[in-house]
Amino acid sequence: MEEKFARWNTLFLLYLKRDWKKIMVWVLGLGLFSAAYVPAFQEITKGQGLIGMYETLQNPAMVAMVGPTPVETAGEYTLGAMYSHEMLLFCGLFAMVISVLHVVSHTRKEEDLGLIEIVRSFQIGRQANSLATMLEVVFINVVLALFISSVMMSFGADTISVEGSFLFGASIGMAGIIGAGIALVMSQIMPASSGATGSALGITGLLYIIRAGTDVSNVDLSMMNPMGWTYLTYPFTENNWIPLIFAVIFSLIMMAVAFVLEGARDMGAGYLPEREGREKARRSLLSVRGLLIKINKGVMISWLITFIVMGAAYGSIYGDMQTFVESSEMVRQMFSDTGASLEESFTGTIMVVMIGLVSILPIVLVNKLFGEESRSRLSQLYATRVTRSRFYWTTIGLAIISGLGGILLAAGSLGGTAIATMGDKSTMGVMDFLAAGFNFSPAVLFFTGMAALALGWAPKLGKVVYIYLAYSFLINYFGGIIDLPEWFSKTAIQSWIPRLPLEDFDTVIFVMITVISISLMVIGFLGYKRRDLIEGA
Amino acid sequence: MPEIVNIKDLQKSFGKFQALSGMEFTVNAGEVVGFIGPNGAGKSTTIRILLGIIKRDAGTAEIFGKDVWKDSLEIHKRISYVPGDVTLWGNLTGGEIIDLFLKLHGRGDKQKRDYLIKRFELDPKKKAKGYSKGNRQKVGLIAALAAESDLYIFDEPTSGLDPLMEAIFQEEVEKLKQSGKSILLSSHILSEVERLADRVVIIRQGEIVESGSLDELRHLTRSTVTLTTEGDVAEMANVNGVYDFEQKHNQATFSADHKHLNDILREASRLGVKKFESVPPTLEDLFMRHYEG
Repeated sequence: MEEKFARWNTLFLLYLKRDWKKIMVWVLGLGLFSAAYVPAFQEITKGQGLIGMYETLQNPAMVAMVGPTPVETAGEYTLGAMYSHEMLLFCGLFAMVISVLHVVSHTRKEEDLGLIEIVRSFQIGRQANSLATMLEVVFINVVLALFISSVMMSFGADTISVEGSFLFGASIGMAGIIGAGIALVMSQIMPASSGATGSALGITGLLYIIRAGTDVSNVDLSMMNPMGWTYLTYPFTENNWIPLIFAVIFSLIMMAVAFVLEGARDMGAGYLPEREGREKARRSLLSVRGLLIKINKGVMISWLITFIVMGAAYGSIYGDMQTFVESSEMVRQMFSDTGASLEESFTGTIMVVMIGLVSILPIVLVNKLFGEESRSRLSQLYATRVTRSRFYWTTIGLAIISGLGGILLAAGSLGGTAIATMGDKSTMGVMDFLAAGFNFSPAVLFFTGMAALALGWAPKLGKVVYIYLAYSFLINYFGGIIDLPEWFSKTAIQSWIPRLPLEDFDTVIFVMITVISISLMVIGFLGYKRRDLIEGA
Repeated sequence: MPEIVNIKDLQKSFGKFQALSGMEFTVNAGEVVGFIGPNGAGKSTTIRILLGIIKRDAGTAEIFGKDVWKDSLEIHKRISYVPGDVTLWGNLTGGEIIDLFLKLHGRGDKQKRDYLIKRFELDPKKKAKGYSKGNRQKVGLIAALAAESDLYIFDEPTSGLDPLMEAIFQEEVEKLKQSGKSILLSSHILSEVERLADRVVIIRQGEIVESGSLDELRHLTRSTVTLTTEGDVAEMANVNGVYDFEQKHNQATFSADHKHLNDILREASRLGVKKFESVPPTLEDLFMRHYEG
């Protein structure tokens, strides 16, 4: 035992000290995200809100996303019941993901980086690092659980009981610990840290999708799912602590398995062999375009899938929209009627939200070129006959195509799902949805142009584009609730564009913003062509 | 001999920091030029200017008689480059990356690629994230050596390589040299430069402190002489051009200034020479002489 875990406590204290800032952000960020929406939910419950939400969340598509509720009639649906129904699964999922990332980065990642090698050369046990990391994660999740419980209780809301608050917090904390256990096992099995992160997150995603299926078909089956042991505790309604006991046992088993696996392997090795790659490159890789597509493939595919899922999620609401919108004063105000049908007004608003998300992908792609530059990965390529112009315009082209493709997928999936759930009640066709989406393409181009401008002249400011995007997103999101002065809301680029199908298409604005965006890209190119490339920055 | 690389009065500053102030040297056709200096002296900055990655503030820099900034593409068709720290895309294999580099270079030699992969004992099927520093360096070297170029620029190319691989690299560079290619070799491994380079350029703080063939450089400095005489060897201590004199019994060791070699030899023969050994300074001695004191 001694040679395995010696001086784990030294490492444990060292890690708390080293990570304290990260721990603060983790606990405060996730804690407030999980617990602090109680007042906002109180707002929704006013009037017929609870009944409206209850009906909306009975929609199988919503159950697949947020999970089931044990409440059987709308009348018994309280604030607490709604809060845990809507929030618990997602917050637990976040807790799992963060714990997975933390565990892998402190165990397998440090092993890959060679840090563990140095640590092991001191008088420290062979597995002390894993133990210390695990205990750190458990400690963080316990603090998180207590923090969430106390924040929730502090609102003093009627149906947010003390027991329920503790159970709610404990369920989220437990979700984190389950994630940590899975991550530690995968860290032993996989040949490198990226594989460990990927497979542990993959398992988390798989558990989520499996429970989506079983929640809709038969909730009892979800009780066989480790992820089910978090949100099926039903805080504020059934207050069932038993799933947490399963979760504790599961986590202990995972940890034991991980420690046995770790004890039996060499440092730096895994149980799965590293998959062999290609000896020669495929023809499709052999160009700047091929290379840029290859290195951006992962991020592009995951974002495009996100757009589809997001469109489908919002689209599924259309069926129950009438009840939903009429249920709450606040929601009604957001989709204030201007004589148009409810679907049309909802489409106009939701499209702004979706366009905000779609705009992220092109910015990511443009910023990626600078990321590659500053990591010196391109230095050997700059010394070939490939022009800077080729790197720049290929990147911009890829960004524009992904932006437009993102609109197509998001608007198409929104329209498709909406029409499917509304049946013959629908007043809009798929083309109406696509028109509403592509109407915003100048905004997407504008964000791409801003990123391009930064890439050419001040590449370190590339991240500022995200801040402007977030800013204009918030202005548009809340512009419907609070009355903002005209000039103020016009600081967001989307505000210039009329919202189809509510308003009429404006050709002049459409062309003007497009021209401005393309000019930004050209100006960016002039800078990119002549500036010093920044390597190793 | 035509000049392949020609740098005159090259200036570059980053903000307030003057990285290069009046850098000047040439690389002639078929010549290997060693480019040495401590960290931060401006070697990589010079090389990046030559590659058109960063822009000079003043001075001229030409390769093949063309401006390195304006005509960079024309130049790049005929050069190969290996950075000192090759960074790769973790999810591509070494083989894929080499193929990509060769394709973008335009004049890759498939057979030479396979030959070099064998020679350097690289596993081309492995994803780059699994490579050690030395293996990443091999990927960069193979991609550069398997491409048909007229000028090869190496920026500390063998960092992280084991001595066996270093020797293979040196052999490959000698082959290039024999086939008339020009090479600019920046390196910290002075024995490597000593073996390969026809001429050496030594820089410090963005300026040239010494340049010329190794013989010329040696001539400017002192050789280490070991001398045993029949008479009292202590008399040598006061001869012009003798420095760092040390005596052990009848054997003396000292540095001899080449300018006064004649005086030293005359005095020694007067004492009756029993043994005389003269070792020319190594590049390391030259290097140290410039940076110490």
